[in-house]
Amino acid sequence: MSGGENTIPTTESKFPWSNYTLKLGRGEPVSTTQYVLYAVQIAAVIILSYLSVAVIPLSYAGISLFYFVYPFFLVFTMWWGAWGMLGAYVGCVIGAGVLVGTGPVPSIVYSISDLVPPLFAFVLYRGFLANRGYDPLWRDLTDKEVAGVKTKRVGAWVWFILINGVILNIISAEIGVGVLYKFGLVASNAYWPFWIGWIVGDFVAMVIITPVLVKGLTTLVERQGLVNHGWIT
Amino acid sequence: MANPDDNARTEKKYVRTFIFSMRTGTPVEKLHVITKVFMIVAFSILTLYMFDIPVSQGGPDIIGLFLMMALTFILLAISRTAKYLVTSYLVLSIPVLLAQFFWWLFFSESLPGAKMTFYLWPGFLPIGISTVVLVVTFVLVYLKTRSIFVSLTPALLLWWFTVMPSVLSYSPLATWFKFPLGGAYSFSLPQWSAYVGFAKALGYGVLIYTSFLFLLTTRDAEIGGALRQLRVSFRKAFFVMLMFRNLNTILLDYESIRMAQVARASTVIRSGILSRMKDLAYVSIPLVATMIRRSTEMGVALYARGFEASKGMTDYKETKRLSSIDYMIMGILVAFLIYEVILGHSITALFVR
Repeated sequence: MSGGENTIPTTESKFPWSNYTLKLGRGEPVSTTQYVLYAVQIAAVIILSYLSVAVIPLSYAGISLFYFVYPFFLVFTMWWGAWGMLGAYVGCVIGAGVLVGTGPVPSIVYSISDLVPPLFAFVLYRGFLANRGYDPLWRDLTDKEVAGVKTKRVGAWVWFILINGVILNIISAEIGVGVLYKFGLVASNAYWPFWIGWIVGDFVAMVIITPVLVKGLTTLVERQGLVNHGWIT
Repeated sequence: MANPDDNARTEKKYVRTFIFSMRTGTPVEKLHVITKVFMIVAFSILTLYMFDIPVSQGGPDIIGLFLMMALTFILLAISRTAKYLVTSYLVLSIPVLLAQFFWWLFFSESLPGAKMTFYLWPGFLPIGISTVVLVVTFVLVYLKTRSIFVSLTPALLLWWFTVMPSVLSYSPLATWFKFPLGGAYSFSLPQWSAYVGFAKALGYGVLIYTSFLFLLTTRDAEIGGALRQLRVSFRKAFFVMLMFRNLNTILLDYESIRMAQVARASTVIRSGILSRMKDLAYVSIPLVATMIRRSTEMGVALYARGFEASKGMTDYKETKRLSSIDYMIMGILVAFLIYEVILGHSITALFVR
């Protein structure tokens, strides 16, 4: 899963983030603090999903013109792996679904759209880009160097926008608006306006909030030993 | 002899729910949480099916949707939470329902049947049902908000909504007097557009209010108890409980941080859209930092109380057993689902031939 045991020693010497891989973890059970943290971060994503849809004007059936929870669950996934993905999915089902009145059945299905971007971003960054000099915790978006290693800021931004802002965002919008359309919650002629609204809402929020979150908190979270080494711990 | 803790619980008049508090002893409060979950899922499936029946098969089941809406409000009234809903979310949900109606009116694919005229302005000021709607909406919203502008907006919107269809503005039953004023401006849409739009808005209303019914009448501890009954391990059930318990705390944290921003004049200094978006970004750092700090404190407290070492945990007092009423309600809902969704019958078809 992690690309084999042989790759780790070579990359470890090259990059300070090489211990963040696609293994399950470091073989330790989830500590009580992590257990609570994972539950609380899901609660936070539920509330932020709800606010993203309920507070922003012109939001409709779970689609928001400024879906500001999007960068939160992306960053949480980079920090906490599968727990961040769980937060993204549950947050959307409850916060952007049931709490805003989309109903449980459409919410359970359309929330897959919020699970796909963090899942693929996590796999791509930890499995592919981390070995090519890009920080899987995205500190290279804002910092010139991480633990003494010079970062590739322009490349980091290009990958960040391409993967999260364009490719995964388009897949997410296609799934989300497509499911709502299939359930009869979006009119056929309104499909593309909503699709564009979805893309813009996620993209703008991602570009504005992610650097602030990363710059302000990633070092703190890492220093407290709370960043997952793999999917689970 | 009853457990004193159980007595203390049952003697409480009100208990905290997800988004409000609920009076104890009502028939809805006595329902098992599994029944409530089953009920909102069944209502959701029925609504989605009812408002999506194609026009070629008779169109949306409008009477069925009215029935679902009536059932939802009856349950809200029985649970004594309707008053809270009316004074809080009901007004907020009206624009959402109107948006649903207008999206479907203008953006649904070309539907079959005769065209119907809708007026942007009919060329006269109608006095009738539309006037009653205007006055009643204005008074109701004004009593709640004490703001003329906020009251006038939904009142005028609903008023126009009753003037717009030609069947209402030209009907002597709906329009009692006409005062000529300006020229008429109209457009045509298929008759089915309004019918489908209305069904969608009604159905969306059912989805919204059944969600509220669940949130207003369910306690987080009930969910923990139900998970234990379903043989979910204590650690997993407690994880879900922690998640739900923290919803309110995080919402309060978010509001406190926003208020602190407002106190530092953020709304005055930065009034543009982009600046407001940046403000939201700056909420993120204290919000997540608070979340991590609280989690660490709770984690240490749990550890200190032997959470990792404990084997036999005390189960939730809120755990109930499924009663005959629960089985009966689930049975009725299953029958309704079979009748409407599997056999494809429509309640409207029973009345309209």
